[in-house]
Amino acid sequence: MLFAIPVLVVLGPLMFYPVGQTIYHSFTNWDGSHSQWIGTAGYSALFHNPEFVQVLENNARMIVAVPVAILASLGVAFLINGRPRGWKIFRSIFFLPTAISWVVIGYISVSFFQNYGILQDTLGKVGLGFLHPDLLSHQGGALIAVMITFIWALFGVNLIIFLAGMATIDQEIYDAAKIDGASSFTVMWRITLPLLRRFIQFALIFSLITEFSALFSLIYIMTGGGPAFGTTTLEFYVYEQAFSVGNFGAAATAGVVLFAIIFIISMIQFRVLSGDE
Amino acid sequence: MKTSQLRETKNYIVWSRRGTRTLIYLVLILVAIVMLFPFWSMLMASLHSEPQYLNGRGYSLQSWTELFQSLPVVRELLNSTLLCVCSIVLILVVSLTAGFALGTLRFRGSGLVFLLVISALMVPVQSMIIPEFVNLARLGFIDQYYGAILVYAAVGIPFATFLLTAYFRRLPEDVIEAALMDGLGYGKIFVRILVPMALPAIATIIVLQFIQIWDDLLIGLLFLQTPQLRPITVGLATLSSQHGADFPLIMAGSLLSALPAVAVYLFFQRYLISGLTMGMSK
Repeated sequence: MLFAIPVLVVLGPLMFYPVGQTIYHSFTNWDGSHSQWIGTAGYSALFHNPEFVQVLENNARMIVAVPVAILASLGVAFLINGRPRGWKIFRSIFFLPTAISWVVIGYISVSFFQNYGILQDTLGKVGLGFLHPDLLSHQGGALIAVMITFIWALFGVNLIIFLAGMATIDQEIYDAAKIDGASSFTVMWRITLPLLRRFIQFALIFSLITEFSALFSLIYIMTGGGPAFGTTTLEFYVYEQAFSVGNFGAAATAGVVLFAIIFIISMIQFRVLSGDE
Repeated sequence: MKTSQLRETKNYIVWSRRGTRTLIYLVLILVAIVMLFPFWSMLMASLHSEPQYLNGRGYSLQSWTELFQSLPVVRELLNSTLLCVCSIVLILVVSLTAGFALGTLRFRGSGLVFLLVISALMVPVQSMIIPEFVNLARLGFIDQYYGAILVYAAVGIPFATFLLTAYFRRLPEDVIEAALMDGLGYGKIFVRILVPMALPAIATIIVLQFIQIWDDLLIGLLFLQTPQLRPITVGLATLSSQHGADFPLIMAGSLLSALPAVAVYLFFQRYLISGLTMGMSK
């Protein structure tokens, strides 16, 4: 019992108390020091605010990137799982972005996508200069640039998840399938994929949670949430409302919405992962 | 089947295998280029001065000398190191004791505490950071190393505790029973037996947390606003606003800031991977 005290002492005031405050202040017009109870008025104001609706839409649109990130990793995992010579080197290279901060990734991405950046430069060299993709300067393009960066950065993590999953599959199943004359495609489709289900689900959830709650620094560097609200996601909106606008109440309300989304995703994860055994 | 035909089919199989293998390598190399090219372009950009970068000609080390001479990068690297070390020590002390209590001792009500830890795991940082900031500001903890360290710890402890609880649960119980029979107290059992047994899990936590804290922006940005105190990632993030779009300088700074985390990654990749898969297995 005594040993459980430190964790409660740290998490109590530094985690549970502020979460409670966020929930409480989502029903007030908090400005950082003073607050007045306004009930659910904050929520209805937020959901009637076109800015906030666009923010939610941005998050929803970005979900498109998740299956792309997963399929790319899954495909390469199949190639590496045959353990071709040098596979460990490839694995290390693919996993490398995991160690890099979103700030650095953001800067790299800006240098690639910005006007007269690497992308335009390269297209110009191969005679496609007329395309002139100035992605970061308009809303839809900037969101696509953020999504491409997200896919690039997440590729390695999902790959590691799938490789770990493939390592749990018994080699004998493969041998038996080979004796039965199954083609490698059939083996992949009928044996490996079904056995990987749990891992694919985990990668899906992990990517979703990252998309909703870990892209603040990337967006801060790449676009600052702009142009206009083009790349403002929910978590970025929370920060903006509090520290740029000074509307702490709205920030708390948006923070509760974010928490609710993550909570639902996590619950699905627990159901899925425990329901399978 | 005639021997010549047989040889032909055999040749075909060998050839098609070789073809597949070439194709596999082609894809792998292509992906490797996509993953590595940004780092290459960073290095190349950092080896120009700003005018050289803009007209695409010539090389110089000017950006690197400017980085060290006119910016407090050394100070920032030291700040990052200090924050990482202190936060990780705090995280380990708290999560090891909690893991022992929840995984090994399993007192009455430990299920409830474990549930609390799990629910803390689900909280997005953004959903608690604003009241956290206001509270710590009231206590005068802003622009103090310990303020940021406490926040890093609070964010890192749930996963570390979860990992260690799962780890301690899997350790055989008779080891502890034998130690109890020998008259050892819980404190001694913890320090002498369980902590040494948890070394692989501890290594995983150190590597994961180091990368996480080193690469953090938000907490440093809010809780360490004085330039002398801020970690390298925050210094780097403010570069673009201070120096306009001096890209070679930013790229040199990016490379410098990424080096320690990449080094840790390359040497301890094993622990990072096991941490990721451990997070999934339970």
